[in-house]
Amino acid sequence: MRLTLHRAHLALPVALVLILGCLLPLLLLIAFSVFTVDMDAFEMVPDFSLANWAQMLTNPVFAFLIGKAVLSGLITALIAAVLGYPLALSIANLPIAWKGIAQILLLTPLYTGEIVRIYAWRVVLGSEGLINAVLEGLGLVDEPVKLLLFSPFTTHLVLLYNTLPFMVLPIWISAELIDRRLIEAARDLGARPFEAFTRVVFPLTIPGLGVGLLAVFALSAGDMLTPSMLGGTSGATPMAMIDNLFGTAFDWPLASVLALSLLITLFATASSIGFLLLRFKGARAVLQGGLK
Amino acid sequence: MKRTGITRREVLATMAAGAAAGVFSNAGAARAAVSEMVWATWDSNGHPEYVTGFEKEAGVKVKLSYLSSEDAQFAALKTGAAADWDMVNPSLNGSWRYIKAGLLKELDLSKIPNASLMYDVFKTTPKVMDDAGKTFAIPYLWGLNPIVYRKDKFDKEPDYTTLFDAKYSGQLAMRDYALESIAIAGLVLGVPRDKVFVMDAKELAEAKKLLITQKPLLRTYWQTIGDLTNLFATGEVSCAFSWRVPFDELQGKMPMGMAKPKAGVMGWCDCFAMPATLSAEKAEVGYKFINYLLGPTYSTDVAKIGHYATTSSVIRDKLSVEEQSTIFIDDMDVMKSFMWPVAPPNYSDWLKIWNEVKAS
Repeated sequence: MRLTLHRAHLALPVALVLILGCLLPLLLLIAFSVFTVDMDAFEMVPDFSLANWAQMLTNPVFAFLIGKAVLSGLITALIAAVLGYPLALSIANLPIAWKGIAQILLLTPLYTGEIVRIYAWRVVLGSEGLINAVLEGLGLVDEPVKLLLFSPFTTHLVLLYNTLPFMVLPIWISAELIDRRLIEAARDLGARPFEAFTRVVFPLTIPGLGVGLLAVFALSAGDMLTPSMLGGTSGATPMAMIDNLFGTAFDWPLASVLALSLLITLFATASSIGFLLLRFKGARAVLQGGLK
Repeated sequence: MKRTGITRREVLATMAAGAAAGVFSNAGAARAAVSEMVWATWDSNGHPEYVTGFEKEAGVKVKLSYLSSEDAQFAALKTGAAADWDMVNPSLNGSWRYIKAGLLKELDLSKIPNASLMYDVFKTTPKVMDDAGKTFAIPYLWGLNPIVYRKDKFDKEPDYTTLFDAKYSGQLAMRDYALESIAIAGLVLGVPRDKVFVMDAKELAEAKKLLITQKPLLRTYWQTIGDLTNLFATGEVSCAFSWRVPFDELQGKMPMGMAKPKAGVMGWCDCFAMPATLSAEKAEVGYKFINYLLGPTYSTDVAKIGHYATTSSVIRDKLSVEEQSTIFIDDMDVMKSFMWPVAPPNYSDWLKIWNEVKAS
């Protein structure tokens, strides 16, 4: 029997590592979630108990934290899409030399570490920071605007700044791949610029938009450092609680239940986003290699 | 031609050398067997210059392995990932869980002469013993977690109630840490300091209510001590339950104050311990090392360089009053109001309460 090597087969080793890297910890989490802890011996006991799952379903704080993470991810992804989409199209229309510069500028947030960015934002948004100094200097406010720092606004502003490149890059690539002759054909057939955009450009950039939405959603919903260091008293996240439960509390079963619940919710939300996007004809056309 | 074997002369030389080593090195066998000890500790406790005295004295190299968190230390010992650690650093508050988990070697206090110089509060603490009264860890370094504040913003020295006072809304910060924050709420509610870490459900519910009312008054919850120092330096926060670091770092740049509330001063204390599986030879060196930590060289270095106090009184009288004050040993009465945060067995419930407060 002759084995033909397709391009898809080249992805097998990496896919295998990814599957194993995801599956093994996941299986461990599932097992731990029904175990109990013997606090006298500091041992996990391989029982079968659904008490932790019952706690997850009955204590509203867990649902609140997970819901907050999902909402935060969705808000950031939507704003990033609204801001990132026109930016990506503009970059796609730049002369080639400017595209290089745009790429460097776009990736600037990623060149520095997260902690450096967090402290830089504190300098910009703080009570004695740059923006408040300008506002006070111009006589627009008498006292520093405290809401700029340590509020949900700060968290989402910084999440947006951190994740915008992950939205712009895939849309930009999608826009670059559009055959310009399709736009010209639409115009020749009488479509106005806006119509050509809605009927040709937008549908064909939906796969890029989809990748961007999913990436920004995952990065924002799963972030712990930005909310905790810039969100002030509103910075609680399920990740911080998981960290505490695995650590000081030594309650690995409850931590596993919370981690699995978060994972299931994020996965369901991401799947819904993907499902919604696939309802667009343009996205299906790109992914299937043509309309069927 | 490349040689592939050994000559008769080499064999004889090797045998002679082996015999000589056997004859001449018996006396120093234990020392020769242990040339290096790995000490897992915090970077602030184990600067290389702090241990050079011991290295010279004992002829044993101390390799420093810095800890990232107490939880990571516990997990490493529990899972066997810390096989190369010879000496470890459990906190006084957390020692009980290492002891319960059987991770530490029982200690023979007769091999630590300097243990007799420890302040009574540390010498008699049951937190390093098992139920049978056997000792598994030795407290060696301690400090206080005070309230740090800006003197120019407060008329009088703050106490824990200040952290709940609407008059100072927007200038206050609490640590994002269930154990200490809930305990402080308990103290404000009047729970005695010896009961505050074992509060019953009703007291915990009251503490939760109080913390929810406090939340809008806070500028933020601080995460790391560097984070809090930055918050003071940038004028975001004027008063916080803290460690002493912002006071030391910012004194001279702004008018900083440090308050030790009478309701109870939260203390921290690091202990020396050895893993249960440590060999007898290495344990002998470990005893010498803890004796060194409680002796004059380490105590002086750590007081003058790091501004920390050991649990030993060995150098107290040789320090100036100012130096004593820096490390909180000028007024020994402070030890009467010590409280040692201990994670209670129902700590998961505390965490849930803390997250309910933050989610409110």
